[in-house]
Amino acid sequence: MSTDNTSHETDEHGHEHHEVEGPGYPTPAAMRTESEREKTAYVMGLRVGMETGGHDFVGVVDLDPDSDTYSELVDTIEMPNKGDELHHFGWNACSSSCHAEGLSRQYLVVPGQRSSRIHIIDAEDPRDPEMVKVIEPEEVFEHDLSAPHTVHCVPGGKIVVSMLGDADGELPGGFLQLDQEDFSIDGHWEADRGGMAMNYDYWYQPRHNVMISSEWAAPNTYYPGFDLDDVEAGNYGDSIHVWDWETREHRQTLEFGEEGLIPLEVRMSHNPEETQGYVGAALSSNVIRFYEGDDGVWDWEVVIDEESREHDDWDMPVPPLITDLLLSLDDQYLFFSNWLHGDVRMYDVSDAGNPRLVDQVWAGGPFGERQQVQGHEIRGAPQMLQLSRDGRRLYWTTSLFSSWDNQFYPEIAEEGSLMLKADVYPEEGRMELDEEFLVDFGDAPGGPARAHEIRWPGGDCTSDVWQ
Amino acid sequence: MVGPEDDSDDPAGDGQAGHVVELVWPDGRAETISVGSGESIVDAAEAADVAIPYGCLYGACGTCTAELLDGELRHTDSPRALKDRSLDAGYVLPCIGTPETDCRLRVGHGIQAEVVGTPWK
Repeated sequence: MSTDNTSHETDEHGHEHHEVEGPGYPTPAAMRTESEREKTAYVMGLRVGMETGGHDFVGVVDLDPDSDTYSELVDTIEMPNKGDELHHFGWNACSSSCHAEGLSRQYLVVPGQRSSRIHIIDAEDPRDPEMVKVIEPEEVFEHDLSAPHTVHCVPGGKIVVSMLGDADGELPGGFLQLDQEDFSIDGHWEADRGGMAMNYDYWYQPRHNVMISSEWAAPNTYYPGFDLDDVEAGNYGDSIHVWDWETREHRQTLEFGEEGLIPLEVRMSHNPEETQGYVGAALSSNVIRFYEGDDGVWDWEVVIDEESREHDDWDMPVPPLITDLLLSLDDQYLFFSNWLHGDVRMYDVSDAGNPRLVDQVWAGGPFGERQQVQGHEIRGAPQMLQLSRDGRRLYWTTSLFSSWDNQFYPEIAEEGSLMLKADVYPEEGRMELDEEFLVDFGDAPGGPARAHEIRWPGGDCTSDVWQ
Repeated sequence: MVGPEDDSDDPAGDGQAGHVVELVWPDGRAETISVGSGESIVDAAEAADVAIPYGCLYGACGTCTAELLDGELRHTDSPRALKDRSLDAGYVLPCIGTPETDCRLRVGHGIQAEVVGTPWK
């Protein structure tokens, strides 16, 4: 079957899945081995803070190597308003609803990080998505929430969006729950926010009744740009939070302190039996592993500790700034990006608590030798990652966030950012930049754009959760 | 008959007192727009089809940050995106800023980054 299909026949996958047609795959291995190569990517394209301005869009990139338009931006779905800052996005349904007959992975939920506007896009035809609904900011503010970020569908017909601020862009934010059928707002997901002071990304492991959320800062703090004074004032996060998935109550705070400043993306093992995961602490540039102990209490340890580097043009050592990380569907490899250094790293995590660096690719940034691909200047550095389901192709974009881009890689505002790719050889534990692949969002129709999160129709390494 | 464009008390021509705002870009380009009483500069610029950067539209994000060169401007909501040092230095938020007098503003996508600075460069 085509990987672009939005539903999957699962009647051949064992005793628990007879005659069930749901929106995903019964196991992570089924998704890894029974899907074909990705043929299409949806990429967030944004024009907030760009020199020429314009509307943000969902970009459709052709990833079919047999196509005449391979490695090109073949369509853009423009947002009706300006100023949204499209950032992360998700599906109405994923493998967590594998048993939900009649449900399909059809609708993209596309929030505006700055506007707090939420767009619903019908992607039933993967190459011809269309906007079907817009939830205006005022409807979101009514629930005293703003700054939508991570979107996951959850079993029981709901969609939960992490929200980083209140209606004034101040702390603490919370979680907004949408109805999976008509995308109306139900209200807050959480029943008791407990010690959650800040919010950012989240992941859940329903078999173990747990959700983990991370921390960035108040929108009023991170929206305008990165100011060291805010770090010194304690305005940035340093903790993750453990939630009871069923009762929706905050259970535990894991406070990292200096070792875990700005913990962003949360990636738990895809294997639904596992009770562990990783979070990238962007500013401390540590990868922290969190896990459930025998007593049911969660603990953490720094498993990768990166060093800052001296650079002639900088007054102080440059931190790597781990801005994104992901796990391959077989949970064997961890990839992450160092946005201020310019490299993507690949770690063997088959021994989860002892990651082993196996390879890295340099592209852009202040330290790498490779500053061009196909004659195009690499504007920015490796940032949002997405891995093919079979674990053989790693794609990334080079923009982080409009206001932070404008401080650290100002050329993106004038000429747009890029999407790049490396071929991954999991059997050999290595990867290589594919110089034949390049999507320059500087050439986007309607003017240069930043490129951010990437997803495949049919699900990917950061979209799906298993029951 | 005097046209609304000639009447500085009613530049928007809607019967409401307003002001003339000159927007100046770093490359020297300049545009003049009419801003009605209580209207935000971003709304007036959009209505006049003059593109200036903006994001949240409620003073939280700082994408629209501009420098007030001349005149007086009032924020209709709390300018949360700007620290006191930036407000004191004359930076304003056109998305929640309405002119109290005729104004001149330096605008452009790069002013937001200029205000925050690049801490390590």
